[in-house]
Amino acid sequence: MRYLTIALTKGRLAQETLSLFEAAGITSAGADDTKTRKLIFTNEEMGIRFFLAKGPDVPTYVAYGAADIGIVGRDTILEEGRKIYEVLDLGYGACRMCICGPESAAAILKSGDQFRVATKYPNIAKDYFLNRRHQTVEIIKLSGSIELAPIVGLSEVICDIVETGSTLRENGLTVLEEVCPLSARVVVNQVSMKMENARITELITRLKEALDKKCS
Amino acid sequence: MKNLMIHTPEGFRDLYSTAEKEKRALMEKLHTVFETYGYEDIETPAVEYFDVFGSDIGTTPSSELYKFFDRDGNTLVLRPDFTPSVGRAAAMHFTAEGMPLRFSYQGNTYVNSQEYQLHLKEQTQMGVELIGDGSAEADAEILSLTVDLLKSAGLTEFQVSIGDNNYFKSLALDSGLDDETIEEVRVLISNKNFFGVSELLESMQIPERIRQAFVRMPQLFGGYEILDEAASYAANDGSKAAIARLREIGEALKTRGHDRYISYDFGLLSKFHYYTGMIFSAFTYGSGEPVAKGGRYDNLLSHFGMDAPAVGVGLYVDQLMNAISWQGRRHSL
Repeated sequence: MRYLTIALTKGRLAQETLSLFEAAGITSAGADDTKTRKLIFTNEEMGIRFFLAKGPDVPTYVAYGAADIGIVGRDTILEEGRKIYEVLDLGYGACRMCICGPESAAAILKSGDQFRVATKYPNIAKDYFLNRRHQTVEIIKLSGSIELAPIVGLSEVICDIVETGSTLRENGLTVLEEVCPLSARVVVNQVSMKMENARITELITRLKEALDKKCS
Repeated sequence: MKNLMIHTPEGFRDLYSTAEKEKRALMEKLHTVFETYGYEDIETPAVEYFDVFGSDIGTTPSSELYKFFDRDGNTLVLRPDFTPSVGRAAAMHFTAEGMPLRFSYQGNTYVNSQEYQLHLKEQTQMGVELIGDGSAEADAEILSLTVDLLKSAGLTEFQVSIGDNNYFKSLALDSGLDDETIEEVRVLISNKNFFGVSELLESMQIPERIRQAFVRMPQLFGGYEILDEAASYAANDGSKAAIARLREIGEALKTRGHDRYISYDFGLLSKFHYYTGMIFSAFTYGSGEPVAKGGRYDNLLSHFGMDAPAVGVGLYVDQLMNAISWQGRRHSL
């Protein structure tokens, strides 16, 4: 039997996902050990193997077919824009992609003047302002601590993930507009979906059942 | 500057030695299949006027075309795919008397896709267009040809997945949903997000049979028997006609003995208006993307002043090479 390869996003998402897989009766000895340096974990009896990867790389592994299935946040899927099937919303890791800034920036957003947007997600920000708000903006790509940008005057607003909003509040920023809701998703390679349809569909159905049980 | 002299631009490559020999040999094998099916080679230029691939025709967004100008200021493009080119040439040089016309082509296509995406920007395509025959038999001929092409390439495990755009389109028309929701449903279905569709439609006012169809469509995938299930949701003439057509194609393929490579997929929805009926993709291990795509496009030629139905297939030779070498490596392990 061919291995079904599953790419998990490193970090908190992986922990939640592994416990969901366990609830669905799919165990992966060793994968939840945070201290291990091993990269791949196998469940021989079900012919499944897992590996951990950086979030933005998960859609890449899946698009190339190096992984059949991936678990990744919707923000990453939107930002990477790969041709992959997005088959299931896992619900956890829920947060929102938002345009944020100081209260005073609300007027700038409405003014129609060109302004600067700092973000880790240039594609999402560009799509939002160009295609949905029909505004021309200057996008500045940063790699972290996006909240800094409006404080030090690098940009007027930011486009970033908001979970509780506490980081924003502590820095005198607020949510000005919501771009879209986000959560963890199951993605599948197009070819794998055809060639291994029965196994993949069964796996997804089991995950959905475990998910429903968890919620109820 | 020195570095720019010896490197190829991003997305382009040199091919030499064994890889080049293998590619030549593969292309010759494929070409032999074209000949046995009675297709005649046609050569079209790599450069065309922009309008040939304009937004009402093309499958490639304008931002991904290589564009430049001629001396008169006309916009020219490097062809991103062959079908509109072959259609244009057919309309220019041929008339309805000689139909059906059978053309085969091979050559490179150019798509200025985003950096670090899957594709090479220059890719070799081979394919055929069958012009002037609107019958299910013509659809079956193209599908048979596709199966024979993949077999001649040495593949044993592959699937040609057939769908029909009209099944979804006609149900969507009768669903009473607004365009935005229909687009949302289309995206969910083509993403195979079966739970997503049912959650979205849960609160909507929509005829029960159409709801059931939409919820099932992401999983309406399988052998000939799946047509029976799809038929049970076919609530209107358009969707019934789509099923009847697929049955006819399926029967013709059985007669040709090719049905074991064929599957049906009602979740295969193209967002392009280019295709008017049957559409298909061919899949195999070792290539994360389809190795061949095709379908029926009965309105395309009217853009060039020729009113004729047409159906065709294009093979991505470089993807096919990747798949073959990947499968070869697996066998030797």
